[in-house]
Amino acid sequence: MQIPWRAAPRAALSSPLTLLVSVVTALLLSFVVAAAVLHSSASGSAAIAYQEDRLCDQLLHPGLDAKKGVPTKSVNEVVDIATKAAGGGEVLAGTYTEVRRADFGGAATFAKFGYREGAVDRLRVLEGGSRDGLWVPLSLTKTVEGFQLGQRGMGGRLPPVTAVYADLNDPLDQWWCTERQFVIPNIIDKNTDVTSAVVWMPSRQSFLDLPESVTAGGVGMTVRFPTEAPATAAEAQALLERGTAVLDRANLGLRRNVVLPLPVENARATIGNVRSAILPLTLISLLIGLAGVATVTSGWVQRCHTELRMLWCRGSGPAALGGRAVLELGLPLLLGGIAGLGVAWLLLPVYAPSTSLEPGTVPTAAAAVGVVVLASLVVTWLVAAFRTHRAFQGRPSSGRARRVFAAVPWELATGVLAVLAWQRLRESGLSTPVKIGGLPRIDAAALAFPLLVVLTTALLAARVLRVLLRLSHRMSLWHLPAAQIAVRRLAATAGPVTGVLLVGVLAIGTIAVGSTVAGAQKASLDDKSGFYTGANSVVQIGTDLVTGARELPAELRGSTTIVGVSSQYERTALVVDPATFTDGAYLGAVDPDELRARLTEPLRIGTTPNRAVQLPGLPPLNPTAGLPSFPKVGTSGYVVPIDRITSVKDVNTWYLWSSRSAIDLVRPLQAAEIGYRNVEERSKAISGLPFLTIQWTFTFVTAIGGVLAIVAAIALLLAIEVRRRQNAVAGALSTRMGMSPATLLSSHLVELGALTGFAVVVGSAAGAIGTGFAVPRLDPAPRLAPGPVLPNLLPLLTTTVLGSALVVVAAAWIALRASRSARIGELIRG
Amino acid sequence: MADHVLRLVEVGVDYRTPGGTVTAVSDVSLDVPARGVTVLAGPSGSGKSTLLRVLSLVERPTLGNVELRGAGTTRLPNRARRALRRTDVALVFQNPGDNLIGHLSVGDNLRAAAQSAGRPERVDEVLDQLGLPGTAGWKVTALSGGQQQRLAFGCALARGATVVLADEPTSQLDRASADLVLETLVDLSRRGIPVVVASHDPRLIALADTCFTLRDGTLVADGAPA
Repeated sequence: MQIPWRAAPRAALSSPLTLLVSVVTALLLSFVVAAAVLHSSASGSAAIAYQEDRLCDQLLHPGLDAKKGVPTKSVNEVVDIATKAAGGGEVLAGTYTEVRRADFGGAATFAKFGYREGAVDRLRVLEGGSRDGLWVPLSLTKTVEGFQLGQRGMGGRLPPVTAVYADLNDPLDQWWCTERQFVIPNIIDKNTDVTSAVVWMPSRQSFLDLPESVTAGGVGMTVRFPTEAPATAAEAQALLERGTAVLDRANLGLRRNVVLPLPVENARATIGNVRSAILPLTLISLLIGLAGVATVTSGWVQRCHTELRMLWCRGSGPAALGGRAVLELGLPLLLGGIAGLGVAWLLLPVYAPSTSLEPGTVPTAAAAVGVVVLASLVVTWLVAAFRTHRAFQGRPSSGRARRVFAAVPWELATGVLAVLAWQRLRESGLSTPVKIGGLPRIDAAALAFPLLVVLTTALLAARVLRVLLRLSHRMSLWHLPAAQIAVRRLAATAGPVTGVLLVGVLAIGTIAVGSTVAGAQKASLDDKSGFYTGANSVVQIGTDLVTGARELPAELRGSTTIVGVSSQYERTALVVDPATFTDGAYLGAVDPDELRARLTEPLRIGTTPNRAVQLPGLPPLNPTAGLPSFPKVGTSGYVVPIDRITSVKDVNTWYLWSSRSAIDLVRPLQAAEIGYRNVEERSKAISGLPFLTIQWTFTFVTAIGGVLAIVAAIALLLAIEVRRRQNAVAGALSTRMGMSPATLLSSHLVELGALTGFAVVVGSAAGAIGTGFAVPRLDPAPRLAPGPVLPNLLPLLTTTVLGSALVVVAAAWIALRASRSARIGELIRG
Repeated sequence: MADHVLRLVEVGVDYRTPGGTVTAVSDVSLDVPARGVTVLAGPSGSGKSTLLRVLSLVERPTLGNVELRGAGTTRLPNRARRALRRTDVALVFQNPGDNLIGHLSVGDNLRAAAQSAGRPERVDEVLDQLGLPGTAGWKVTALSGGQQQRLAFGCALARGATVVLADEPTSQLDRASADLVLETLVDLSRRGIPVVVASHDPRLIALADTCFTLRDGTLVADGAPA
């Protein structure tokens, strides 16, 4: 290899600016590509984590269940076979009898007996605690007059009671989660419901030794294989396969309890959805990045023109000179690529919904970055070879190709694509899930609609700017010298200015679209969940709290409200307490005072037919006043003030709604020994995965917008730096001719401010319009009210304006500094 | 052996500009002798540099033919013209810095020049001939303008060029530096290397064995210097 080529990598150091720009360009380019790969993989892991959070930990590994009917003599055999099949892994078996007469203290009491290894370690002991006898629940002791430790049930045939524990209730600890159907008693109204909390036996053998009358007809059984929760879809798939193999090997006659297939399927679908949704924007960003590489190479050709001309005069061809460019810029591009991969990996917690990645993701991202770096090198070679060919041995360009390229109405093409995307979004953007718990089909083309609006607007803005700059020579603003100079400067650098505007509008529009859609999805999930449950947390209660027979714990006053539900023939009415309703209910954006004022009379909600109805416990209803939607009933039902009801007991069910978390709601209830059941939490009420998929997708869109914003800012600063000498000479000349430094600074501020302001206005408007149409359509659960609404755009706009203003001030300062650095010699040389 | 190294036959060069086609050189025919210093003289804009680029096979004429040692070059493909530039023709630009690679040392510039033509590297010998002994390890920027321009001719020597062309080689230099360049040109000529120079420097014109005068793109005088 000849010396100029061999020394090329070292020659890169001769221009730190080119070096820096090359590294940063490759860094941003590879960041986008690597982040796209990592983000889609992380979305799958986040989907797994989200679904696991809604499942019982001990059921992640497929387990076995028998509600009843397992002969006691088979229990040990089942456990042994399961243990052997698990190959040394932990096996946790639970055995439960049906509710039988226990006759503690000679009274006719009922109990359910159970054994699960380690169960007594996870109970709150109220009295006693020795592990060699029965552990009975508090609820059972209350049915026995004069109950005390040491008593034996069933006429002395049972071991003595050695402990009294607090009944288990929702929300349950994870260890109990799979046993919920066996261990939670129904104690809301002890006058009517049979207590069925578990009496825990001291050992499996003691359980198996229970009298025949207790275990007759067999017992219920659960077999669990506790294991670490999988972090990724691949791990979940592996666990599913491993668990299924264990059950196959065990081949027991118990019902298989396998919950992972759907989460795995959903996680895979999430990866696919996110990947296909971010692909178009990633490709656009890739093209912009490669255009950036081409611009850097063009700058390099311009900077090295004399050296390239000399080498060409010595017989080197365009291919060899292209190779010279690759050798000089290749290392910075490679370093930038590696840095981009590293940055994408390091910033994973910032932009991705999870830090767990599918196996092989990082190598895939590295391979993608490798391809991108290779593409950058190819672009570098092609551009350098083409530019040297055209400069030295081609016919002088007539500029026809450029004119044709500029004349092609690209915005029309993207506009047509936007219209097509709109059609898809309007008709079938998000379809109903095909299976319960499944994800709706998310049409990536439909999701692209707001981005296509932004792209079309950006191209249109670039064309308008080109025309305006072409016409600007007719403008005479010499009475405002700063404005006149600013306009002339813009017109003189129409190419770079248009490029900066294009990327700027894309960046601002993309950020607006990304953050708005992601924010709207999050708010929509919150609102729909809130409207679905009615409050942050909800528990079913007995009527004694409604009638005043029991007092609501003081701790819960101000954050709870009692709500009755009366329903018949698909008609539902909520009975609400107007005085406290807004304390506990989830109101979303509804004004509490306004709502409180409306609750003084019966209301017809949403689409409810306008006719009189009669519901249990309520007077005949035919309200004239109404509201479009209401918590819990959504868009159909009635709301009745509590003072209008005729019979508390006849209202089907009563609930306590609270703005607190479930645990904070039930703790005071437990302390006051107030019975409750059916705990619901807003955060787990509806499956948020479809919302989250869209949210994650558009969070990445925001990240890409951020990268584009950095590109636009760097391009602007670079454009200023590249024309440093012109700025210096022009500025020095102008000030020596009498222009004040303040006017010169103003001219730079006007020039850069106009460009950036145009980008902010157009980008924000495009983002707002695109999302204004798209957000109401991007509703993964249209049957649940309320629909997604556009969030407040003011904070985003304020941030954008402030960020842009900072860039403008920095760029103006660089330009002004350059003009102050001009020397007289430069003026003379021109 | 032909008595001319380069021959132009009815050469014309046109440029397309936004304002229309501009004729830079029109109907020029001349023979560059195989020995001595040939000067293309004329005022600025007369077409000297254009003609020099055509002669050095850097630019194709719009019309006419360029012969190098009797062989036509105009219709040769780019690859063949590059091969001729690699082995036969050396072009020295007006600005000394444009002829050298700034980030390489003096010696490496000579080595690079020799490598480009596939010639043996004779760094010390060439530097001695240029009167720049012991500067092989110097940075190019450590040399004066005149020394840099001499080094540029040295690169032509190192490449073993059979004809050396130079565009206004003294215009960017002070008198003392220009003298060094003139000495180098004479020296090259004495070594039997034909030298073609585009210049309106009277001292260079006075040095010429042959002088062609151009005005407005056409040849107005040829033969011995006036």
